[in-house]
Amino acid sequence: MNAPASEREKALMGMGESRLRKEDARFIQGKGNYVDDIKLPDMVFMDIVRSPLAHARIKRINKEEALKIPGVIAVLTAADLKPLKLHWMPTLAGDVQAVLADEKVHFQMQEVAVVIATDRYAAADGVEAVEVEYEELDAVVDPFEALKEGAPVLREDLAGKTEGAHGKRYHHNHIFSWDAGDKDATDAVFASAPVTVKQDMLYPRVHPCPLETCGAVASFDPIRGELTTWLTSQAPHIVRTVVSMLSGIPESKVRIISPDIGGGFGNKVPIYPGYVCAIVASIVLGRPVKWIEDRIENLSSTGFARDYHMTGELAATADGKILGLRANVIADHGAFDACADPTKFPAGMFHICTGSYDIANAYCKVDGVYTNKAPGGVAYRCSFRVTEAVYLIERMVDVLAQKLGMDKAEIRSKNFIKPEQFPYRSALGFDYDSGNYQPALDKVLAAVDYKGLRAEQALKRADPDCPTLMGIGLVSFTEVVGAGPSKICDILGVGMFDSCEIRVHPTGSAIARMGTISQGQGHQTTYAQIIATELGLPSEVIQVEEGDTHTAPYGLGTYGSRSTPVAGAAIAMAARKIHAKAKKIAAHLLEVSEADLEWEVDRFKVHGDDAKFKTMKDIAWAAYNQPPAGLEPGLEAVHYYDPPNFTFPFGIYLCVVDIDKGTGETKIRRFYALDDCGTRINPMIIEGQIHGGLTEGFAVAMGQLLSFDRQGNIQGNSLMDYFLPTAVETPIWETDFTVTPSPHHPLGAKGVAESPHVGSIPTFTSAMVDAFAHLDVTHFNMPHSAYRVWQQLKQAGLAS
Amino acid sequence: MEVTIDKQYPVAAGLDAAWAILSDVNELATCMPGAQITEVIDPTHYKGSVRVKVGPAVAAFAGTIELLAIDPATRLLKMLGKGADKGGSSASMELTATLIAGEGGHCILQGKADVIVNGKFAQFGGRMMSSVSDMILGQFAVTFSQKAAALQAAAAVQAGEIAASAPIPAAPVVAKELNGLAILWALIRNFFSGLFGGK
Repeated sequence: MNAPASEREKALMGMGESRLRKEDARFIQGKGNYVDDIKLPDMVFMDIVRSPLAHARIKRINKEEALKIPGVIAVLTAADLKPLKLHWMPTLAGDVQAVLADEKVHFQMQEVAVVIATDRYAAADGVEAVEVEYEELDAVVDPFEALKEGAPVLREDLAGKTEGAHGKRYHHNHIFSWDAGDKDATDAVFASAPVTVKQDMLYPRVHPCPLETCGAVASFDPIRGELTTWLTSQAPHIVRTVVSMLSGIPESKVRIISPDIGGGFGNKVPIYPGYVCAIVASIVLGRPVKWIEDRIENLSSTGFARDYHMTGELAATADGKILGLRANVIADHGAFDACADPTKFPAGMFHICTGSYDIANAYCKVDGVYTNKAPGGVAYRCSFRVTEAVYLIERMVDVLAQKLGMDKAEIRSKNFIKPEQFPYRSALGFDYDSGNYQPALDKVLAAVDYKGLRAEQALKRADPDCPTLMGIGLVSFTEVVGAGPSKICDILGVGMFDSCEIRVHPTGSAIARMGTISQGQGHQTTYAQIIATELGLPSEVIQVEEGDTHTAPYGLGTYGSRSTPVAGAAIAMAARKIHAKAKKIAAHLLEVSEADLEWEVDRFKVHGDDAKFKTMKDIAWAAYNQPPAGLEPGLEAVHYYDPPNFTFPFGIYLCVVDIDKGTGETKIRRFYALDDCGTRINPMIIEGQIHGGLTEGFAVAMGQLLSFDRQGNIQGNSLMDYFLPTAVETPIWETDFTVTPSPHHPLGAKGVAESPHVGSIPTFTSAMVDAFAHLDVTHFNMPHSAYRVWQQLKQAGLAS
Repeated sequence: MEVTIDKQYPVAAGLDAAWAILSDVNELATCMPGAQITEVIDPTHYKGSVRVKVGPAVAAFAGTIELLAIDPATRLLKMLGKGADKGGSSASMELTATLIAGEGGHCILQGKADVIVNGKFAQFGGRMMSSVSDMILGQFAVTFSQKAAALQAAAAVQAGEIAASAPIPAAPVVAKELNGLAILWALIRNFFSGLFGGK
């Protein structure tokens, strides 16, 4: 009890400690509780009839054969949902999406009908037996084709509508135009700049690949009129609000539970037709209904990411000072605009595309387009299109360096926003909170012996017999995360605050309930550490609960690296309310005034007297049993935190590749990742997040691709074709850090889980292109699979 | 999913016998395992079906065949076949077939097929499409050759060119279903023999 402060601090296992994950005990023993683990009495199963065609008119649906199959209870189509007005539903992006295809199918694998049966096998047989007659229509899979004059009308439901959710539509397949920055001023800079560069690039369509696919168990109690649904959702409260609005059931009678979630990566933010159908089926049948999609359904129909056709331009002085940036994007959104961005930002945070650089003039424009592909546009381990933005600027800086014959590190140093410029207002309207880029860059260059690497590369380039091409990639990215200030960030009108409720029990343990939901981030571990440090209670006795809308305070969920920046701040603020009350109680117990007290690790003590103190544990008991007169009993607090700004974590990544000239096989020799996420809560979990993010970035850059043929058939929607790296393929990661706290966050923390994904992808491309740079190659598109690299080698005359 | 196949297949019979098979849509259709003509709409339009069996599941494709060109002088046939199953998978094939004289009184069937496949087959079998189509056409060509040889032998008997007692090539027995598993097995076998330089 009277151990030195440093020992007591260590024992709390609070912030800064590599506390082991509390979640792992149940996960590694197979005792997790995922949606598919939920089994209810009388539960039935749902399976989905999907369109084999990308674009077709539905002429007839025949349920008869399916209904004859033993075990099949019901088959629902759009015609059955129509009387309930549930055959279409709103998307998070202000568009509508067919729940079950209404007269037309708009993409391959679109939901056409659902079969409900007493077991999964009967449901699957039922799906096979539903007969759907289609009239094929011409499919459009290329957004540029979609915008041509005579292109087929994809969304007949929008015929004649020239106004969309985000302003004017100039073509029947156009969704929105969105821009930021000063176009005229930027054009003027380009007109007079000594040097300009321009590069087209495609960030191809990829898909998050959480190990657990999406699913739901819906259970409607017809007697109480209550609906309980277990759901794979990264944002259960938003689901509750939407379900209540769609169904008319009061929000107080809708309970959404996100149990353990096996990875989300943005894939589990949207509300999918499968969820809605399971809920409707449960209401209609009065029985619990389970729906779990398989891997092919997950990769084919739920939220994809990226699919940005980008053109970047930089204007600069002859010695490499960037004067202006222009970015133009054609964004392929698929059949329905189901992006999961804050409502006012149809292109998410793409306007972070000025990156870590002080660029005085910038303009960016994004046009969303409908095609016959699955809807989505989710933030795949990133904060709303930040990945695309960082890719664009980092590629363009490389292209400019190449044109000027400058070194990649040198041109970055020259253009960095300087430490004294923070807080920094970017030309596209962000207020960067803090950053210190040059020391981070210097640290990385020293760690890898950058000069030595360049010398080695020069030697290898000079040797015609060298069997490999060596490439060095360098990226200095800045992310914008922690959405976000509710004055600009909302989803369907709900501000993007987050929340925390803490109750300290009489014996000094505590429970915290949160508006977020972990999908592997380790919230139960890290949130407890924040409370441990703030309140001086051991993290071991602090329970963290999330995901049940009946018990958790309202929050917007976990995605876009927002948990620590927003919910983490809510925890600190709630804890500080408790701390303030505890101080009153301590003063009362010690019979001194509050001004005579100081806080030390786990206790209030009288100034300069180590013997006169009350620990938080003592105070907790007193709070319930002997509170001072006039103070209500209890020790708890709720805080809803509306962040004043985003946070801006950054990093410097360097990658060395060796490409086999004969086969195009690439070896990642070295990958060095330095991250600055501000204050670090749990270094071990940060390290794990970075390893995971780098591995996902590696997957995207080197292999992942959802491709389509001209008829709109999806090619590669199983793990036979879709690259999911295992330990065998994954390179060895080296990590490092600097600490530049956020000045506006109560803990100084910025969020980290997405940085490694956002930052690593352009680093791989930078390295791959660098290997060809001496052959005047400035860019080639991902993924850098051996076959595609081999084609590049052939084009360069290096492979036969 | 589009695949173009352009190949030559040897036929164990002369031009006349082979043309007799090629120019008779009923005969031609039955060279394809599992295929048959179900209705003759007019001399250039037919209805037909193909049954594909993969394990216990049987998929029935129903479709139409349109004769686009038939020219005895150049022994050229051009046709367009389209079909769909009840689940909505669909396929179309535009086939141009020509017979050219070969060595030893035999001839060669030269076929060019543009195949478009949509639906499950296109999704799951993307990377196998080309080899599967190749194999189906290969089976087709073997049956075609056998039929032509049988026809030629029968004609020879009738004309008294060879004795009735001489062995006549038997008319081929064509499977009523296209066996998907057998095709898969053959693909795997070919893959491994290719791996070890067998071929």
